[in-house]
Amino acid sequence: MTELLKVRNITKSFGGLTALNNVSFDVHKGETVGFIGPNGAGKTTMVNVLSGYMYADSGEIVMDGVVITKMKPYQRANLGLSRTYQIPRPFPELTALNSVVTSAMCGKKRKNQSLEDAGYEATHYLEFVGLFSRRNILASDLTFYELRMLELARALATTPKLLFIDEVMAGLNPGEANKAVHLITRAKEEFGISIFWIEHVMAVLMDAADRIVAIDHGEKLAEGTPEEVTSNEKVIEAYLGSGWRTYA
Amino acid sequence: MWSYIQLILIYTFILGSIYLLVSLGFSIICGVLRIFHLGYAYIFPLTIYGTWMFMQELGWGLIPAILGMVVIQFIISYLIYKGMIKRYLEKEEILLTALLLVSLIVEQAANYRYPIQAGVYLKTSLIEGTTQIGVVVIPTQLVIGAFIALILTALFVLFFIKTKTGLAVRALSQDIYSSKIIGINVETLYIFTMMIVLVPVIISMLVVAPVWAVEPGMGWLYMTIAILVSVLGGLGNIKGTIIASFLIGLTHAIMCFVVGEPRFMNLSALVLVMIILIIRPQGIARSEALW
Amino acid sequence: MVDIEFKRDRIVIRYKEKKWDWMLEPRYWRNSIIWTSMLLIFPVFAFFVSPGLINTMITANIYAAIAIPLALMTIGTGRMNFGPNFFIGIGGYTAALLSIAYGWGPLATLPFAIILTILAALIFSPLVVVARGLYYVLLTLLLPLVFLEVTFIYSNIFKGDVGLFGIKLLVDMGNAKLNFLTVAYISTGIMLLYLLVVNKILKSRYGLIMATINDDEEVAHGIGININKVKILAFVFPAGMIGVMGWFLAHYFGTFAGITYLPLTFMLKILLVLIIGGRAQVFGCVIGGYFVAFLEMILIRTMGPIQPVVFPIILLILLFVLPEGLFGIYRKRRYREYLPTLHVRR
Repeated sequence: MTELLKVRNITKSFGGLTALNNVSFDVHKGETVGFIGPNGAGKTTMVNVLSGYMYADSGEIVMDGVVITKMKPYQRANLGLSRTYQIPRPFPELTALNSVVTSAMCGKKRKNQSLEDAGYEATHYLEFVGLFSRRNILASDLTFYELRMLELARALATTPKLLFIDEVMAGLNPGEANKAVHLITRAKEEFGISIFWIEHVMAVLMDAADRIVAIDHGEKLAEGTPEEVTSNEKVIEAYLGSGWRTYA
Repeated sequence: MWSYIQLILIYTFILGSIYLLVSLGFSIICGVLRIFHLGYAYIFPLTIYGTWMFMQELGWGLIPAILGMVVIQFIISYLIYKGMIKRYLEKEEILLTALLLVSLIVEQAANYRYPIQAGVYLKTSLIEGTTQIGVVVIPTQLVIGAFIALILTALFVLFFIKTKTGLAVRALSQDIYSSKIIGINVETLYIFTMMIVLVPVIISMLVVAPVWAVEPGMGWLYMTIAILVSVLGGLGNIKGTIIASFLIGLTHAIMCFVVGEPRFMNLSALVLVMIILIIRPQGIARSEALW
Repeated sequence: MVDIEFKRDRIVIRYKEKKWDWMLEPRYWRNSIIWTSMLLIFPVFAFFVSPGLINTMITANIYAAIAIPLALMTIGTGRMNFGPNFFIGIGGYTAALLSIAYGWGPLATLPFAIILTILAALIFSPLVVVARGLYYVLLTLLLPLVFLEVTFIYSNIFKGDVGLFGIKLLVDMGNAKLNFLTVAYISTGIMLLYLLVVNKILKSRYGLIMATINDDEEVAHGIGININKVKILAFVFPAGMIGVMGWFLAHYFGTFAGITYLPLTFMLKILLVLIIGGRAQVFGCVIGGYFVAFLEMILIRTMGPIQPVVFPIILLILLFVLPEGLFGIYRKRRYREYLPTLHVRR
């Protein structure tokens, strides 16, 4: 397996607080990597560093042989990184179709694509997430689930090589969450992308992820298959507290 | 050399205090309502021409005319709040345009009724004559005005620090939603703020009216100073406003008496503001609080 | 290099690895043809009926041609510019000073006016990246006022107090009425050209990109848009267009004085054209321009000296009663056609 994303010794601190401390891991091509940790472990900081909204204090990020540590978010998006947000952030004044059209145009550089061509392409992504019938509705009028799906369509339309998913479960009911998880697994196969999946709930990743990286207080605790990680002492301790064995 | 220093010190004090009086209201509105009250320029001509109107058209004495003018100021301020600011608080482009239009209307109306040739002169001087401090000779009115300015500012600061209402206004300036939740009546306080900011402006206009030139377009002259001061001070922080107004006063004094080019006064102040904004992008006071 | 291909319903333009589709939809052309031909017939009509109307029409075209690029600038940068007249000043003074110093005609001064305006806009373009909300409003508001002050300080060059005289006229046919007619057509031409260009830009992919930047800059950055480039382009290009109007004003009147265009009153008029016309809809700018110019003309003719008071009062009332502007009476706004909010720290 070839490495798509190499993260080496990333450190990021805010003032005195070290949010990420010497975190290193790899994402291989065609793989789903779960990224777990309790609240305040530094998960969202990690996505922000990876997608370029923050710069790491030290360390190196390599994407497909290109060093992207100091690149701006739009350059990373052009290279094939894409992300969704924990709280959906749609373009409220644009219709669902138009926001997907924009990302189809602006994501990876594509040759010979006019606005109309981008429109045809965007329809496909809308169909994929099941929003085709809502394509002409302003994003501010969509429901929460639809916003999540719109966000997924927008992220997929940039034709990423690697997709960061930031807590897809948050705010969805079990049925919707199930649908969302299935959609993401299908997207991975259909579009041939790799997925870097950040989640607070470990159960979701048990089936979906090939490998899991666990962090707490900015430090990597464990890395391995879901079974390995869930049976790791340190991970259980981080989630349940150090005295869990006495109550187990 | 010593005479230059005297000139600069005294004029910095005088100009700074009067600029403080002029821009205090603008700064407080910036801090509390979080809008740019571009209509602020209307208050200046309305003070002078409102008083003059009562004296001229109705034949009232100076004191009743001033009282009548104050009542009119309050009414107009209330109407502006109810009609514009409350309605368009979220649509700022309309709000700013409408407020600009108001100041234009007042200015043009004053110009129509009492053009610059009409010779408007308010005799509001408390003490006639001039005072000599060292080598500097200045109208006594301005010295008294400067002290009034300092006292009034101190009262404002005391009000914001010591009283319950002041505390509520300070809370409101930090966050509207949280203030609503803890039971602050936002609208009343907004109206209250709109009202109290009139006081320093009216007093400053009455103080300088016998000494400085009066014309319908004078609002923008003072407005420019108010904008510069409140931006320099960090958009709505009273500490910053106090420092900034004396800084601008110092710049003006240096320009007038050392460089000897009064034409460069506003330009130099603007350059100062730009330089400080580059060094400290949030103005002198880096906090968003009122005090 | 540029490859143009005519298809049944569209023109396909290719340049290197880029492609644009220009849809041709004749069924939507009726209204445009009607209004354009009315604009073209009107000067001839006025020429025989009341030549004074031509003058008003030129003013209206000027207002519209300043407001249209301003609409593009507002939408593109996501900020409300309160000092478009700064660029009028730059363009106008460049044309006027060159024409007076070297005796150049309008065609010779035009490129310099455009270049200098664009240079000035480039110098101030970091503002659109750095300054936000109220700071941007304030700085753009003060720019023309500072420029005005400069024209007074360096009175020997700019003649800030009396204005510059002796600029070569735009056209000189020997007959004042014919001159007016020609200038009317030139101004209508510029205005229609601006309308076409800006409307095309706003409907194209760049309009879509601008809309996303208005909505959420951070997310727009995240889906691969170079927002700083777009914002600076959307600041500089319309600035050049506004600068051309300064050039036009200088050569049209033969005089140029900063005191006419740089103070707030002129800026306010342009702003009202933009807002009363239709809240930054480009077609609304034309309606607003004609409305404001003709209203002003009628008031001046009927009211006399009280006109400066009544005119803003009427505009203020209109601002209140027309939430979507004059164009909004005819058609509700669609997405992408709105003024961006100022986003004050609140």
